Amino acid sequence: MEFGLTEEQEMLKTSAREFLEKESNRNHIRTMMEDEIGYSPELWKKMAGLGWVGLIFPGEYGGGEMGFRDLTVLCEEMGRALLPSPFVSTVILSGMPLLFAGTDKQKQEFLPEVAQGKQILTLAILEEDGDFWPGSIKTRAEKRGSEYILNGTKLFVWDAKAADYLLCAARTKHSSDPEDGITLFLLDAKEWGVYISPLNNLDLLRRQYEVVLSNVPVPAENIVGELNNGWAILKKMSLYATVALCAEMIGCGDKVLETTVSYAKERIAFGVPIGSFQTIKHKCADMLSGLEYARSLMEWAALALDDDDPDAPLAVSMAKASCGDVCKMVCDEGVQIHGGIGYTWDHDMHLYFKRVRASDTAFGDGNYHRELIARYIE
Amino acid sequence: MSDGSAKLEAFRKEVRTWLRENLPKGWGTPEYKDPERFSTEAHELGKLWQKKLYDAGYAGFGYPKEYGGVERPPEEIAVIREELLRHGSPFGPLSLGLLMAAPTIMAHGEEWQKERFIPKILSGEESWCELFSEPNAGSDVANIQTTAVKEGDEWVVNGQKIWTSMWEFSDWGILAARSDPNAPRHHNLTCFIVDCKSPGYTKLPLKQMTGTSEFGEEYFDNVRIPDKNRLGEVNKGWGVILAGLMAERSGGGAFWGGMGGGRSATGGAARGIGMLSVKAIIDLAKETHHYGRAVWDDPVFRQKIANLAIEVEAMRYSGLRMVAKMRKGIMPTNEASIVKNFQAEMRRRQGDMVMEIIGAYSQLMRDSKRAIDGGEWVYQMMRARGATIEMGTSEINRNIIAERVLGLPR
Repeated sequence: MEFGLTEEQEMLKTSAREFLEKESNRNHIRTMMEDEIGYSPELWKKMAGLGWVGLIFPGEYGGGEMGFRDLTVLCEEMGRALLPSPFVSTVILSGMPLLFAGTDKQKQEFLPEVAQGKQILTLAILEEDGDFWPGSIKTRAEKRGSEYILNGTKLFVWDAKAADYLLCAARTKHSSDPEDGITLFLLDAKEWGVYISPLNNLDLLRRQYEVVLSNVPVPAENIVGELNNGWAILKKMSLYATVALCAEMIGCGDKVLETTVSYAKERIAFGVPIGSFQTIKHKCADMLSGLEYARSLMEWAALALDDDDPDAPLAVSMAKASCGDVCKMVCDEGVQIHGGIGYTWDHDMHLYFKRVRASDTAFGDGNYHRELIARYIE
Repeated sequence: MSDGSAKLEAFRKEVRTWLRENLPKGWGTPEYKDPERFSTEAHELGKLWQKKLYDAGYAGFGYPKEYGGVERPPEEIAVIREELLRHGSPFGPLSLGLLMAAPTIMAHGEEWQKERFIPKILSGEESWCELFSEPNAGSDVANIQTTAVKEGDEWVVNGQKIWTSMWEFSDWGILAARSDPNAPRHHNLTCFIVDCKSPGYTKLPLKQMTGTSEFGEEYFDNVRIPDKNRLGEVNKGWGVILAGLMAERSGGGAFWGGMGGGRSATGGAARGIGMLSVKAIIDLAKETHHYGRAVWDDPVFRQKIANLAIEVEAMRYSGLRMVAKMRKGIMPTNEASIVKNFQAEMRRRQGDMVMEIIGAYSQLMRDSKRAIDGGEWVYQMMRARGATIEMGTSEINRNIIAERVLGLPR
């Protein structure tokens, strides 16, 4: 395991930062906050052109054949820049299940198009309780000839208005084991009976939707993985997704700390910079220390996944609990140290605050992951 | 398996065999009884162990050969550390000699001082203490009042030092004293290597809230130190003090992070920090029942113990990140304060959590026939209160992080 960045990763980081500072600048972000779809197709094409969208795909599907740890370097920069884009939805939430379990035909059909930025995918998984676990999947898929008919309601679906296809988990069999009987379907987002409506979620840079499926026909050849065995694919993908979100959160946290420290050096109160007060210094010191340790766990988790380390699920849970807790604290203190200005809509602080809270909830919060850790280490 | 990893596995076997043959009789079994904390016996065991490790080529890394340093590929050093940790071997490095004195002498010492002192630190033959703190110079360490006055080829020292680890067994100390009554702060101190058997040097135990005397105090009554024992230039002692404190903070953090060894320098059965101790806490939580339920089945405790496990792993992997940085030539300096605070505050949280697990038994120390694990957990809970004060209080370390790492104004 090699901690820190390789030379190649340093280059990726530097070029990503330069690109995103230019492209995902304040103007772009403010425009996207008002945008119903929530991303810029033009920018997406440029990202595909840089090889970002296909970064981890095999070469035969037009990918860059890079590792997952490389991808987290990119995710960190995207978090830092608050990039509004369906990147995680397309590449990780949906692209990885296709990569793990798709047929050759499916991969040939979708992955090159995705890598070229021509197709956007997302995952429709969560239902009424909002939790990532098999017991919540109530959406039904019934076989009718060579098709399946899907009925149900999916919630908290990211980037649904941007997506061309939805990867959707539905129940194809009743079983006492909730993991048994879940099947993944790739369905056309423009199909009859797919109703997408916005949820008006806090994070305006990663919009979430309700997706109602009313008698939606899906051809049987669009099943991803085996019939009834879809949950294992999602479980595997969720490890990668969780770490990608950790990397994004670390990117957010780093930027918040940087912004806050430079504000504390400039802002004058009682005739001196507020950063000369110990109470402010100590908060900033705690923000930095927290981020250092959370980053170590995130790097460990990413490297463990790349190595197929049997401890990877433990590393992932530890990273998620730590990154969530630490980055929420960092954003809280960032708002607090900025004072009134940090509480305004006009300042970017609330955008980081909201992004981190959204990511903290996704794929299980700290309490959920600590319970998984307890089971793992006992 | 590649050639390299096969060789490394063979080396691991060699280390394991050596450990089995050389650890004290009964080590690791319930029959083994640790010598009493801070006793002469415990100190002798630590010294002997360091000597054995050093003679076998399993200690003394990071120093040039001419000063007794032992050269080994980093992969082998990692294997040695892992095996020492796994076997919970007696902590050899005798704390302050290796943690503080050797790096400080390497950075500021003259050639003869390096040749004379470093080999015996590495081999465990001589023990060291740090003589910086005074009753009125703790966090404000620049406020040292002990005086050093030059008389011919000697310096005459008068004053009092306090909070000295290894006070009882030290052969040598690194002393900071005020050498110029008129010079401004930070430009008025000089450091010396002092022989702890010098006439006029009196050492006394200081009893702490734990009931033990881990720390002591020293009185200097016209103690004479030859000028050749001066460490660094006259009135440039502040830089020497900073180097010493920084080495101690980073080393101490690394030790508690699990890179040193499983037992404390003074022979106590330190179930300190490390995944091993998380395991011990889980066992304790399974054995202990409150209101008819095992503590381990209480979701609140499961959350807290999982959190401790996260912190332990965070320390481990932060250590590896630091090593990766060092390999690229980036030397961590003030970052030591981050490590130091994290480990100290983690020890307090861990101590508090175990007290919650054992409930009413948290009142019983070693002398009680009903004490759990000989009162070790209760001792560690109280000892952790010292951890957030020694080596720079948590508050001082936060100032260092804010000012020297983040660049906030003083």
